[in-house]
Amino acid sequence: MAKNRNRSFAAWAAAAALLVAGRAEAQEIKVGGIFDLTGITSDVGKPYAQAVQDAVALANASGGINGKKVKLIWSDYGYKIPEAVATYKRLVGDEKVILINGWGTGDTLALKDFINAEKIPYFSGSFAGDLTDPARTPYNFFVAPSYSDQIRAWLSWVKRDWKDKSRNPRVAFFYGDNAYGKAPMEAGRRFAKETGIDLVDEEILPGGLQDATSQLLNMKQKLADYAYINVTTTGVSIVLKDARKLGLTTKFGSNPYGFSEQLPAVAKETAEGVTGVVPHVPFGEDVPGMKAMVEYHQKNHPNDTHDALYVRGWSSAQVWLEGLRRADRAGNLTGEGVKAALETLKDFDLGGLTAPVTYTSTDHRPSTKTPIYMVQGGKLVKVAEYDMPRRPDWLGL
Amino acid sequence: MEFFLQLVLNGLVIGSIYALVGLGFVIIYKSSSILNFAQGEFLMLGAYVCLAIFTSAKVPFLVAFALTLAFSALLGVLMERVLLRPMIGEPVISVIMLTLGLASVLKAVVQAIWGTDTRPYPEIFPTAPVHIGPLPVSQGYLYSLGSVAVLLVLFTLFFKLTRAGIAMRATAFSQQVALSMGISVKRMFALAWSIAAVVSAVGGVLLGGVRGGVDGAFAFFGLKVIPVVILGGLDSIGGAIVGGFVMGILENLSGGYLDPVFGGGVKEVAPFIALVAILTVKPYGLFGKVKIERV
Amino acid sequence: MRCGDFRQTYAEDMAIFETPLPRFLLAALLAALAAVPFVSSSFWLDVMNRIFIAVIAAMGLNILTGFTGQISLGNAAFLAVGAYSTAFLAGRMGLPFPIVIPAAGLLTALVGMIFGVPSLRLKGLYLAVATLAAHFVIEFTLSHWESVTGGVNGISIPAAKLGPLVLSGDRKLFWLALGLTALLLWFAKNLFRTKVGKAFVAIRDQDISAEVMGVNVFKYKLLSFGVSSFYVGVAGSLLAYQARIISPENFPISLAIDQLGMIIIGGLGSVLGSIFGAVFVTLLPEILRLLTGALSDTFPQLQGLFAPLKMGLFGLAIVLFLVFEPDGMAARWHKVKAYWKLYPFSY
Repeated sequence: MAKNRNRSFAAWAAAAALLVAGRAEAQEIKVGGIFDLTGITSDVGKPYAQAVQDAVALANASGGINGKKVKLIWSDYGYKIPEAVATYKRLVGDEKVILINGWGTGDTLALKDFINAEKIPYFSGSFAGDLTDPARTPYNFFVAPSYSDQIRAWLSWVKRDWKDKSRNPRVAFFYGDNAYGKAPMEAGRRFAKETGIDLVDEEILPGGLQDATSQLLNMKQKLADYAYINVTTTGVSIVLKDARKLGLTTKFGSNPYGFSEQLPAVAKETAEGVTGVVPHVPFGEDVPGMKAMVEYHQKNHPNDTHDALYVRGWSSAQVWLEGLRRADRAGNLTGEGVKAALETLKDFDLGGLTAPVTYTSTDHRPSTKTPIYMVQGGKLVKVAEYDMPRRPDWLGL
Repeated sequence: MEFFLQLVLNGLVIGSIYALVGLGFVIIYKSSSILNFAQGEFLMLGAYVCLAIFTSAKVPFLVAFALTLAFSALLGVLMERVLLRPMIGEPVISVIMLTLGLASVLKAVVQAIWGTDTRPYPEIFPTAPVHIGPLPVSQGYLYSLGSVAVLLVLFTLFFKLTRAGIAMRATAFSQQVALSMGISVKRMFALAWSIAAVVSAVGGVLLGGVRGGVDGAFAFFGLKVIPVVILGGLDSIGGAIVGGFVMGILENLSGGYLDPVFGGGVKEVAPFIALVAILTVKPYGLFGKVKIERV
Repeated sequence: MRCGDFRQTYAEDMAIFETPLPRFLLAALLAALAAVPFVSSSFWLDVMNRIFIAVIAAMGLNILTGFTGQISLGNAAFLAVGAYSTAFLAGRMGLPFPIVIPAAGLLTALVGMIFGVPSLRLKGLYLAVATLAAHFVIEFTLSHWESVTGGVNGISIPAAKLGPLVLSGDRKLFWLALGLTALLLWFAKNLFRTKVGKAFVAIRDQDISAEVMGVNVFKYKLLSFGVSSFYVGVAGSLLAYQARIISPENFPISLAIDQLGMIIIGGLGSVLGSIFGAVFVTLLPEILRLLTGALSDTFPQLQGLFAPLKMGLFGLAIVLFLVFEPDGMAARWHKVKAYWKLYPFSY
């Protein structure tokens, strides 16, 4: 009956409205979170998101920011740029957050004009080189060496690992068909030319990748000795498995979203000998900063396995929590104030979780120390570390 | 040359999975005139359910496989009951949308239960590659191709020789006449949907074994099945098979040769461009029956 | 309330408003909507702008699929064409929006008519598949024509401007969106009182008979594609001005399916249906988001389930509507109105 349907609808609407209406507002600092829990990078996005939430919870439990609690308002955007933009509008327009911890390269780049105009410091899970130049992106920050420095470090390792003096090593790049995949490629191309490495092939791995055989066959024709894969762990393991099927001897390497403790677990024995950039230590490594994290983990998630991605999210949160602390002490808890506070960070020590962080008003590269690890016997073992010089022509690349 | 052969082989294997999904689609269309766009989700669900039974119940893989097939058969009957009855006489677009809605629901259920991570598949095929001429071929590929070939032969025989098969063909030809001949049309519909779901589940498990893992992207196969059945002809079983293999090979060849030219992405577009080309020449597909419209 | 149908002239028979009351109510509704930006939060303004865009796009699709019976899965691609044309005309060439929006619409109409050519030979599922192919071809072109579209990185669009007037932000854009929506809906409603509109409906109902009676089926099919794509192009243009940054990711095939869902849920072949469907499908995820946000303190796992819930609810809504209300919300609305019209004598 139409009447009954109208009435029950009204009742439901009222109930929903009531649920939404009651929201307490204490002395709080509101911070936004835009995470990927269900999209194409969710395999690495989930532990990162969990770590940020945990770091905030721990900070609140230990007295907050000089007594004020941090409220993390977050949602899952599924790695879709339009969703990220809509979430951003909601966080800044409605919830009035003063800082956001975002995630992906594509959406961070898409939002950079908005955050510049509205002065919201934005920490991303993306380490794209485009975000390091305050002249172009004054409000973007991240906690790791940039993707460009990472690929340069890996190429430096290739140069050292290549023993044949008669010719240059041949390298191929595999990357996803999105902003994240393409981010470090130009830097990689230029650096390869500089250091005497022959870039012989570039292959695109589409989103929702199931099968990399045709791309690998193309690479095989170009006889690449090494290949750098710039996607996430799922994509890397597909490439490794298909490479094994084709009997390829190419040595593979990956960026820190493709290479972590998850890789040997997913790719099993095809991950042996694969190298990767590891700017955040594997979970449980013996460094001072690990203690608080491991304790929290034992108490609250004893049954979850955590990895370097978790360490990454945790480190990111520690840095902006420190920025909030300094801004609050200076009495300027606004977006601009937090940005200025962050730029006072010099060699901010995260207890060995990652290299110490320095931001200045002319350089948002937090650090350039890049360790390279290799999978040996199913475990991650450090084989090299490179400290890329802070060259001015590399700023913003 | 080796490059070409490798691509063709890869295409054949993927094409065999396309053929399976297309087969399911055509069976449902032939018998109940419904366009089931949820075929890809049946494939995905089959792969996930098999994995879930295998890992949680700790039974041998073949037992898990058999249970998955039973589950799929039941799922097919359930879908038919829920979808078919209200859709009698509704316009084409409503039918398409209904199965698309169903596909969304199935995808959501899978994502809610199992999340979006890739779940590793157990090693159902031995890993050592076999050599055919110059090419290393993984045994999984051969098993996949072999199983599909066997299934296809079985179905052709089923439809030609068994009573149930002939009854299904009769129902597809004319429901009225079949009813008056004493064939239980309702049972035929249920049978068609069960077979389609089972066939897709087989495809899903094979794909999981070949890929080594299963994730939500399996559902995209449903989208790919459309050019397959259009190419082959909506109501032709042989057409679905041929269409599947052709599409698989076409995809891989265009990916291998054209991707470097265009910078990627050609693999996804090529089947559809080929499709449009075919439709301009043969609107009902290679083997489809031409529909004669009457006022 | 009136009871009984009493028409004495042809004009009365064709009238949209039978009594003064609906005219007055409609004016009141428009006035109320115009006042919304003064009281609403920016989140809801964003939602309402997106609803306006969805209404225009759904209306376009309804003209093609609901009124002319041509199933099209190319809506997402046409939205993209409208949006990217706007990016080019407004961004690259700096033109003001009164020129950009109609131009984007016309460009999309042209593209739509080109992809409508297969409709000469194809019907039903086959036409749907041809439009699906159109979607992938257009998506491929947009991702790879980097010099014009910026490729996968996307392209940004400046705020809509006309001389000194700059419509930056959802609040200012709201009135433009409201005005355009009202104008286009009014045009659509009147379209189906004209010869062209009736030709469309004739093609849907029985195209062979229509041809026999002298309706040039191919010409009107193409025209339908053109008009429909014009609407979708305008919607895409508004979308570009609202989102300010677009990339091929904004226009996946699921968007086309969502829009088909809008007109099915709303009601095929009905202007009111386009409105209802667009509002319903756009509001569903937002209400879900509010609910999960409010309940997430008691049920923390809900946040992670938001994405599958969104997908599942949409699919479920389509299935339920198709099974229980195949003619859509507009039909239900008319039934409710009819009940109340004759109350308490409705038997």
